[in-house]
Amino acid sequence: MPSSDSTPSDTPSVISEEVIVAGETPRKRTSETSDKSADLSSNSASVVGSGFWPVFISTFATIFLAELGDKTQVTTMLMSAESQAPLVVFLGAGLALISTSLIGVLLGQWLSTRVSEETLDTCAGILLILITIGLVGDIMSS
Amino acid sequence: MDLKLFLVSFAAVFLSELGDKSQLAAIALGGSSPSPKAVFFGTASALILASFISVVLGGSSSFFLPEKIVKGIAAIGFGLLGLRLLWPESSENI
Repeated sequence: MPSSDSTPSDTPSVISEEVIVAGETPRKRTSETSDKSADLSSNSASVVGSGFWPVFISTFATIFLAELGDKTQVTTMLMSAESQAPLVVFLGAGLALISTSLIGVLLGQWLSTRVSEETLDTCAGILLILITIGLVGDIMSS
Repeated sequence: MDLKLFLVSFAAVFLSELGDKSQLAAIALGGSSPSPKAVFFGTASALILASFISVVLGGSSSFFLPEKIVKGIAAIGFGLLGLRLLWPESSENI
């Protein structure tokens, strides 16, 4: 007599979905602390703000400057010069760049649901420092 | 539209950007930022503007932008972002 009707599909996977959906405000402590620092001084202390625009501007500026003259841009330049169809090359390159940044951000979001906040911040910080060292290496060798 | 050229430029740029520093930065910032949407739009628009400039110039961006200085500013920016993630308390006291 199998009286147990409960399906085994009620796994606690809903929790991780909620975290992804609520990706707008996963960090309350960041918004509180950086608002204070923004009031005190509007310079390097508020490089990563809490709102959309501070994050947008700091991300945009650093990545734009880092990518200018990078090997991807050289590839794009050569292809558009050779092909006589710069618009097509630009559309292809642009779509590829949107895809890689979307993959990157989604991967970061996925990691933030798996790894603790402190560990992720430390790893992200180390990664950014490594990128800095790589850029300095580029400057030295060029 | 030349579909073959479109696919070739997509594949070339996609493969060369996969695992490159800007994607690593997108992973780092997207995971630790309070606004991942802003990180995505910032990254994507910066990359698109950089490649737009490359396409328009078609070869010579170095004659008006000294590459070392531009990369140096970018290095300082990434360094500040990284230090702030590693030591959030100390950067608030400055």
